[in-house]
Amino acid sequence: MQLQANDIRADLSAAAAEMRLRFSNMTRYPGQLALEIFLPILFAAMPIFLSQTVPGSDVATNFSENAGTTNYVAYLLIGSTAYIMVTRAFWDVAFWLRYEQMVGTLEAIYLTPTNSVVLASGVSFYSAVRSLTAGLIAYLLGCLIFGVNPLQGQIGLALVFLLVGLPAVYGIAFLFGALVIKIKEMTALINMMQWGFAFLMGVYYPLSMLPDFFSFLALVLPATWLVNGVRSAILGVGFFLGAWYYDLAVLTALSIIVPIFSIRVFKRTERNIRRRQGIGQF
Amino acid sequence: MENVQKTTQINEQRPLRDWFDMFWAMVRKEFTIKTRYPIELFAGFAQLFIMIAVFTLATLTFTSGGSDSIGEGGINIYSIVVYGFIPFIFLTETLWGIGVNIRQEQLQGTLESVFLSPASQAASLISRVILTLIWTSLMSLMAIILMVLMTRSIPFFNLPLALYILAMTLLGTFGIGFAFAAITLRIKQTAQTLANVFQFSFMVFCAPFIPFGVLPEWVKLVSRVIPLAYGVDAFRSTLMNYPAGFPELAPINVEIWIVTLFGLLAPPLGLWLYYREEARARRRGSLGIY
Repeated sequence: MQLQANDIRADLSAAAAEMRLRFSNMTRYPGQLALEIFLPILFAAMPIFLSQTVPGSDVATNFSENAGTTNYVAYLLIGSTAYIMVTRAFWDVAFWLRYEQMVGTLEAIYLTPTNSVVLASGVSFYSAVRSLTAGLIAYLLGCLIFGVNPLQGQIGLALVFLLVGLPAVYGIAFLFGALVIKIKEMTALINMMQWGFAFLMGVYYPLSMLPDFFSFLALVLPATWLVNGVRSAILGVGFFLGAWYYDLAVLTALSIIVPIFSIRVFKRTERNIRRRQGIGQF
Repeated sequence: MENVQKTTQINEQRPLRDWFDMFWAMVRKEFTIKTRYPIELFAGFAQLFIMIAVFTLATLTFTSGGSDSIGEGGINIYSIVVYGFIPFIFLTETLWGIGVNIRQEQLQGTLESVFLSPASQAASLISRVILTLIWTSLMSLMAIILMVLMTRSIPFFNLPLALYILAMTLLGTFGIGFAFAAITLRIKQTAQTLANVFQFSFMVFCAPFIPFGVLPEWVKLVSRVIPLAYGVDAFRSTLMNYPAGFPELAPINVEIWIVTLFGLLAPPLGLWLYYREEARARRRGSLGIY
């Protein structure tokens, strides 16, 4: 029993150390942090301007017919902020492994007397704190720039959706990390995944705009439930299953299942790679 | 000894040929690396299709009657998207292919070796451009085909002039790429985020997917001081055969002049900045620091 408690304490200490390392690494690049806040605003600005090209002046009514709200500015800001947070998860977790591999420190990490999943959880926690902070600031700033009230709707419920959904999003990113260390081709793959998520999770539009097959596929992704939950809580666009608690239950289930599944896949991939060519090869 | 002297003499007599040999070897090296990562090649193409689909669906969300209502305003929005997409994808590939590539060499620990070799640094940078040029041209062609398949026919006029404008715009874009490589040496890790910011700023200020007319006045003011914006405007207006109101930023002859100057001046300026930053990094011993 005592031994088990010591193990848990050691794991937590290792995860916290990894997290501290990432945070101190982040402070070395303050410009990156500042730019991260402006990215969602720029990303939302694109379709906001795009809307002006559409003939007929009442774009808000048209948007409402398709998306369930006339407040397209807030709708797009929520979508782009959530998208940047998902992207952050991919770059921080999947790229973490590849980054260590490229700089030649991955093997050293594997030689430390701790579990790689423990370290990855430290990285994930760091990434979640970072993207939540940047995302919230970006949303508030974006609302200010585009003249939208940021404090409308059920803010508390939106935050619950955000916090409950993040473990599932990081689970997917971790799964992707396993793919990255296996195939070792990262940049274009992550870029493709970024746009794939933008396409499926409905950053700019509701799922009803997608063809049936892709709508179904989108519902498998936790990010889709997360972004729709936040939008429904703030803008009342409608929960997928009619009530917030059903949607939240699905998201909670995904946040339990996806990380467990990802860890299993990651462990298996890692074991296979170590057995064959070694983890440091790229 | 005699052989060494002979080789040195030959090398002194054929500096241009040596430069091209070296350059060709670097292009081959970049090409070999690219072909070693086939999934990356596939992902690049897939990303292109997804991006176009995202922007098309985003436009459709603002319409009442779906895609049929989009052409009613007198201009074909799809042609604006696809013709804007070409400079956009070139800029993206240039920023990532040149700027971020330098960063990758730094991460892998090969940048110092590259700089220590007696090879021209200009050749090293330009060799990355060649691959971008071939690869992105292919992607642009695919984008046009995809857009024609997804929507309806798009206008296609004045090809020689449009190609000239595109060539000058690309030269200018490569100049931006060289300058970005210089910035990468200075800002290191932040380069990736900055590349994203450049991309999204380009989307807003150079209006590749929307007409300039719908931009707020203050954005248009910024657009007017960016030569790349004139490239986008001139290129798509020429291919669309100058519909009413196009080009939007200036008369076409003025835009052609601006684009020509941009194409001629940006590459040497970008290279100059890169050499300057490289010399600074060498002096400070920060090439390998990240």
